[in-house]
Amino acid sequence: MSPIMRFILRRVGFLFLTFIVFMLIIFALPRAIPGNPLSTLLSQLFQQAQANPELIKAVYKRLMDEFGVGKPVHIQFIDFISRTLRGDLGTSIAFYPRKVGEIVAAYLPWSLGLLIPATLTSWIIGNSLGALAGYKRKSAVDNLMLPVFLTLSQTPYYWLAMILLYVFAVNLGVFPIGGAYSSGRIPSLTFEFIADVLSHYILPFLSIVLSAMGGWAIGMRVMVIYELGADYINYADSLGLPDRKLLRYVFKNSMLPQITGLALSFGTILGGSLITELVFNYPGTGYLLFRAISTLDYPLIQGVFILLISTLLLANLIVDFVYAYIDPRIRTGYLGE
Amino acid sequence: MSLLEAEHVKAYYRVREGFVKAVDDVSLHLDRGVIMGLAGESGCGKSTLVNTLMLNIRPPLYLIDGRITLDGNLLSKMDKQTLKKKVWGVLVSIVPQSALNALMPTQKIIDLIKDIVHAHTDISDSEIVSMSRRRFEELNLPVEALNMYPHELSGGMRQRAVIAISTLLNPKLLIVDEPTSALDVSTQKQVLKLLVDLRKAKIIESMIFVTHDIAVLRQIADRIAIMYAGKIVESASTDDILYNSKHPYTYGLINAVVTPEPEVRKRGLISIPGEPPNLLKPPSGCRFHPRCPYAMDICRREEPPLVEVGEGWTVACHLVASGRR
Amino acid sequence: MVSQLIRDLLRIKKFDLSVAIFSSILIIGLVGPIVYEVDPVKMIGPPEQPPSEKYPLGTDSYGRDLLAQLLHGIRNSIYIGLTAAAISLAIGVTIGALSGYRGGVADSSLMLITDVVYALPSIMLMMLIAAYLKERNPIFVALVIGVTSWPWVARAVRSQMLSLKSRDFIYMSRMAGLSDIKIIFEDLIPNMASYIFMAFVLLMSGAMIAEAGLSMIGLGVTRGVSLGIILYWAQLLESVRRGIWWWFIPPGACLVALATSLLLLSTALDEYFSPRLRGG
Repeated sequence: MSPIMRFILRRVGFLFLTFIVFMLIIFALPRAIPGNPLSTLLSQLFQQAQANPELIKAVYKRLMDEFGVGKPVHIQFIDFISRTLRGDLGTSIAFYPRKVGEIVAAYLPWSLGLLIPATLTSWIIGNSLGALAGYKRKSAVDNLMLPVFLTLSQTPYYWLAMILLYVFAVNLGVFPIGGAYSSGRIPSLTFEFIADVLSHYILPFLSIVLSAMGGWAIGMRVMVIYELGADYINYADSLGLPDRKLLRYVFKNSMLPQITGLALSFGTILGGSLITELVFNYPGTGYLLFRAISTLDYPLIQGVFILLISTLLLANLIVDFVYAYIDPRIRTGYLGE
Repeated sequence: MSLLEAEHVKAYYRVREGFVKAVDDVSLHLDRGVIMGLAGESGCGKSTLVNTLMLNIRPPLYLIDGRITLDGNLLSKMDKQTLKKKVWGVLVSIVPQSALNALMPTQKIIDLIKDIVHAHTDISDSEIVSMSRRRFEELNLPVEALNMYPHELSGGMRQRAVIAISTLLNPKLLIVDEPTSALDVSTQKQVLKLLVDLRKAKIIESMIFVTHDIAVLRQIADRIAIMYAGKIVESASTDDILYNSKHPYTYGLINAVVTPEPEVRKRGLISIPGEPPNLLKPPSGCRFHPRCPYAMDICRREEPPLVEVGEGWTVACHLVASGRR
Repeated sequence: MVSQLIRDLLRIKKFDLSVAIFSSILIIGLVGPIVYEVDPVKMIGPPEQPPSEKYPLGTDSYGRDLLAQLLHGIRNSIYIGLTAAAISLAIGVTIGALSGYRGGVADSSLMLITDVVYALPSIMLMMLIAAYLKERNPIFVALVIGVTSWPWVARAVRSQMLSLKSRDFIYMSRMAGLSDIKIIFEDLIPNMASYIFMAFVLLMSGAMIAEAGLSMIGLGVTRGVSLGIILYWAQLLESVRRGIWWWFIPPGACLVALATSLLLLSTALDEYFSPRLRGG
């Protein structure tokens, strides 16, 4: 087996294990937390069912069934996993009788459409600026940029979002104050609609790009400083390699860890952007999650998390592929992880 | 006729507390065709000295004073761009101490070679490839290594590849900095043989070989210079250093080699009690006096002059200067 | 010489600055509620008043005093941050130290667990756990943050441990027959003290930001005020769109200042403890 295959297989195995552990956590939480939230919810529904027979009774029955109440725990877990792997995420309480999968599927594209371009943009800009700061270490440029990076990296996405919204939408009126498109418009592939979507897109996009950028820049700056002092750079320098060549070496080798970093940070960025969606009333999964939490719609909460984590693990896998392809040390089986 | 001439070279590290005088008023000359060994304990400044000789220095290390001439070129007055274009890799190359990590890790050896050759000449890639293959064959290195990444090579192989790369453009002077210290005995032998072959094949003219291991120098060097605390204390032919050394420090260094304790041999010189001085505040007078069994009053007060005691044999010691030894 | 001096001053300044910012906000949070005796959750005046002499930071939509909220919020946020960081540190250091010191099967299994938890974004695990907690007092929130944020600490401590383990003095202790736990806690961890302190500082800033995030999505403390809870109320009642800037700017600014000062502190410490001087 080629080293690259071995690497990928091991990563797939690891991510699958992570997925199972995550499912175990999701499964165990409502059953194990003191006060047993699941049985509290069910008994509440049961009481309501006495008063309002038809609908609540149906919800109650469905939940009893889906959570497998009364069956042995391990059977419940196996049922849960196999249903999830078949794509059945259960039924929502608040939106009964709609299926969780179907509800999340309507919201997820908006989140991903915001998250993926914003993450990649912040990654590219942050790394470029960080490389510049690292290369010009201790210069005026670096001294100016570093505090900005430090502050940005510690600025919650949603707070920056609030500020941007306040300044550009509320005060200056340059951008709309929220949503993904103006109310009353019907989604279509017309120029007007796309322009409308874009004008709603800019502020949420910017707030994620700006706050995620700081972390990348700081990381890249340190990497570049470290690589600039590395033995292989000193050696190439002592053999007369021109500075621009040396910089290319440094950039290439500093970039590689940042690619792995990209996979690891998807989750954090996703978490931050979920809340950013709230600020902009952006109809993504963050917005959905917030509603699910405020109505204690456990099946929906579970479903949102399962879909988000699956997406993340998938993104991790894609990054692994890219990394394995780019870093010759993986291709030749030198680096294990 | 000398290839390298260094006069009164001072190179200091600038640190928060002041200057670390790693190379302090060192003069040295190297004839064409000669392999010179440079020996001393860890931290005596020998590595700093050889890097300074080719002006391969970067902050916080600075050349404070001195004249360095290589093959008729006044290196100490050149700016870095000129050095890189005209001198480094062409007239003088270094095999660094950390040769195991010296190769660009995410690039094939041949691609690094291409980048290096392109930095100095305009030959085509295919010519570079055939030239490198010829050179690797000539030096008995596996040609396949050219198409590998550094991590695919063993430590000894990487070390030898670095030597081959450093000498690809036939520099007049090759500086090797502790090339054998990280290697096992048999690999050490291969590396030493490779270095001797380089001169035999007239790929290089002269070599400076830095080590703390006098035993290695005995196998390869024509001359040996002994360095202590930023200064050269004795310099002579290999035989004179090994059998007739005049400086008490040299004497101690040679003795360290014959001790059976591996720890002592490894560090070079624990047979002399005491530790090398702090180069931030070197001792007054002769820097060796706190450890010297023969220290006199004058040793504490005055720096010993470098005295010529024989043909190409210089010593800096008051004992010698006053004729007691 | 001069530029060296300037560089040194800068280095010290970074440290000074971070300590100054953090401790002044801390003192405000500690002393403020005692000096400024206004109940943060009681209606004390007309709603949505802009800052004035009577209400220094204005009031919210329920007519509650925002300065009082901010003072209590700082106190609670720092409290949650400290507690959560202590919990994460305890877990991370124990797992990392055991893993690095023991090696072998213990190491691989502990690191596998660490990697799995690392791959699951901590903010999501936090949300997931918090979603099932009906009552969330500050300790619960700190616990939720603490038990999900340790993996990077464990990894870092492990690699520190591996490099320390091979040093002579540890060998001596082992030869002297000291137990593993004794060696870990008496020899190894004290030697990583500076490093562990830096980890603590970073954990704390992360925990305070995480607290705010949990609060924003409706999973913060259920009773009392924190910086995140103020932002949550401000968001819930549309303060941004209605231009009530005095509601959402101060708590966010305090949070950013606290977190940034801690990051700056760890940077300053890092530079101090790992100088990049290469000898001759």
